[in-house]
This record gives sequence, structure tokens and C-alpha cells, in this order.
Amino acid sequence: MNVDVSDAELAQRIVSGDAAAEAEVCHRMGPRIRLYGLRHLRSAAAADDLVQQVLLKTLEALRAGRLRDADKLAPFVLGTCRMTVLDQRRGARRQEQLLEEFGAVLVPEQREMPHLDGERLARCVQALKERERTVVVMTFYDEDTAAESGRVLGISEANVRVIRHRAIRQLRACMETVS
Amino acid sequence: MTRQNGGAPLECATPLEPAVLMEYWLALLPAVEEAAVEEHLFGCDDCGDRLRETIELSEGLRSLARSGSLRVVVGDGLVRHAVDAGLRVREYAFAPGQTVACTVSADDELLVARLAADLSGAARVDLSFCDPLGVERQRMTDIPVGSEAGSVVLQESLTFAKGSPSTTMIARLLAIDPKGDERLLGEYTFQHTRTIPGPPEWEW
Repeated sequence: MNVDVSDAELAQRIVSGDAAAEAEVCHRMGPRIRLYGLRHLRSAAAADDLVQQVLLKTLEALRAGRLRDADKLAPFVLGTCRMTVLDQRRGARRQEQLLEEFGAVLVPEQREMPHLDGERLARCVQALKERERTVVVMTFYDEDTAAESGRVLGISEANVRVIRHRAIRQLRACMETVS
Repeated sequence: MTRQNGGAPLECATPLEPAVLMEYWLALLPAVEEAAVEEHLFGCDDCGDRLRETIELSEGLRSLARSGSLRVVVGDGLVRHAVDAGLRVREYAFAPGQTVACTVSADDELLVARLAADLSGAARVDLSFCDPLGVERQRMTDIPVGSEAGSVVLQESLTFAKGSPSTTMIARLLAIDPKGDERLLGEYTFQHTRTIPGPPEWEW
């Protein structure tokens, strides 16, 4: 399927039973859904499950013509992500029947994650100023320790944010310099 | 390359700032900003690629922060979390002027020294590391300390400690005034005994 085909056109083709259009929607939306899942579910396996669930619901809705504005496919998928994660958190489980119906054709495309050189990163972190290194370690160790950073440093949350931004910017520059 | 709104490939005209992507990933954005970021990501694969880079950097930093391999001043909360998580934490507490016999074993996962000192009124505090003759070998400049803190919690590098021969190291907390003059806040002597096989000694 040509990437020039718009979301709206894909949605219209799916209503008329175009299987290739369905595959293109999965190809296009799968990686975006997965990122959303990684952010909100903090697990690659859970993110993969979310991709399947959201694509299934999306295709169901598209086939049934329930997407009223074909231009709004991406917002529809995002909304479906949000509702699905909410449902998960409420403990709702209803995807098994849908998975049986649609099977493994909805396995998401796995976009390769960029590789990071851990040793170089360690050298770059060690090269930070003391306050920046403390903020980085406290931020990334744990959510609770991130909140404690300001108290350790004796500064406000806003200042912690400034220091963190500066440290991350320096780390990115350092990683690009040495790579 | 992106497919803005599913159309032809486009460069992102309004790329999300790296700092915003990092705060999004860390769940530090207000709800309204988070929603706006997600709407952008669902129409922009360019920024999706940038988010993947951000995730990789974030995971690398998380792994590093939890590795115990960095020499860094930390907060009590980090030590508590490590203990709660079941990590093998070795902690030594020093009063000013105290000498403590210490070591590290192969299965230790976090090594912490708690250096007690009266830090009130110190605008800047440095932590100096000296050899047994008192000659400075390394300095951590302007370390973070809360104004009400009665101690500095130093996470020592396990990589360094596990490779260290039996030796004496002197740490000094120093208050630095605006003119650059130093005032000793506390001196702490580590008498390290090696328990892990390795070279008998090293050059500083």
C-alpha cells in the first residue's frame, strides 16, 4: 500500500472490505500504539498486547463504519488506546474472543529500538557536575526518588527540572560526541 | 521521515523538544501537556522515532542509576528503596574524625557511606579524597546538600571499591566560601580491607 494514501482514504476502503487497507492501518498505527503502551504500561509485553487490542477494536469500528469522520482515524486510535488502558486498569478482560476471531494477523510490526552504548553513557554521566549527576541518578532510579531530588539538593522542583534538562542535554551531546 | 496525518512522507514541522519527550516518558508532564504530546505522536512518526531514542536513553540511565557503579551523592530515599527492593546494601556511618574499617564483598549491590557533619551555613561544599599522606587525589566540587541535612550520603562506586586493594583513603568535607577559602567540616578515614582477589596495590 502506498504511503501517500491518507488515513481517511484507508478508513473508507476498509468499510468496503479492502484487506490491504486494513493491513496498512495496522502497519501505520501499530508502532504508535506500542509507544503509547510502553509509556503507560511500562512493559514491552503489555504494550504488544495493547497493540493487538486497539487494532482489533479499530478494525471492528472501521468495518462497521462507526468512524464518523474518516479524517479522525489517528485521534480515534489514540482515544481507543486511552479507553483500553483504562479498561485494563479496571480489570476488564474481553479481548480473547476478538483475538480468536482475528488471529495472529494483527501482530504488530516491531520497530527496532536504537542501541545505546552503556559504557559510553557511564563515562558521560560521570563527567556531569555533581548536582547534575545526583539529579540524574535520583530521577531515573525510581519515581519516588525522583520526587526526593529537590530535598536532597535543597532546591525547588522547578530548579530540579532546570538541572535535569541541562544534564540530559549534555548527556545527549556527550553521546553524540563520543559516538 | 514521517507521515503527518497519514499522508505523504513529511519532515516534522513542529518536532517535540527532547526535554518534553523525556518528561513525557517519565510521566512528569501535566495532564493537558501529556494529552497534547500524545495527539502529536499519533500523527508523527518522526517524533515517535525521537521518543524511541528517549526511551533508550532513559532505560540506559535507569540501569546505570541502579547499577551502584557511580560515585555520586544521593538521598536517603534511594538507600531505603534499595533496601526495600532486596538489594544487598553495605552502609558505613562516619562521625567527623572517625576511622572505620570497611570492605566490600562480591555480592554487594550498593555501597554507601554516611558522612555526618554540620553543614549549616555552608554555601558550597566540596568532598575531597586524599591518600594516606593527606594528598588530595580527587575532588567532588559543589556537591548537593540540603541546608538542613546533618550528613552527606555518598554512594561509592562498586566497580572502584571491588577493584580496590587494601588501603586507607581519607575523605574531607570542606565548606568553600565565596573567596574560595576552605573550612574543614569533617574528616573521615576509610580503612579498606580487600576481600576480593585482585592486584595487591595500585597507583592513585
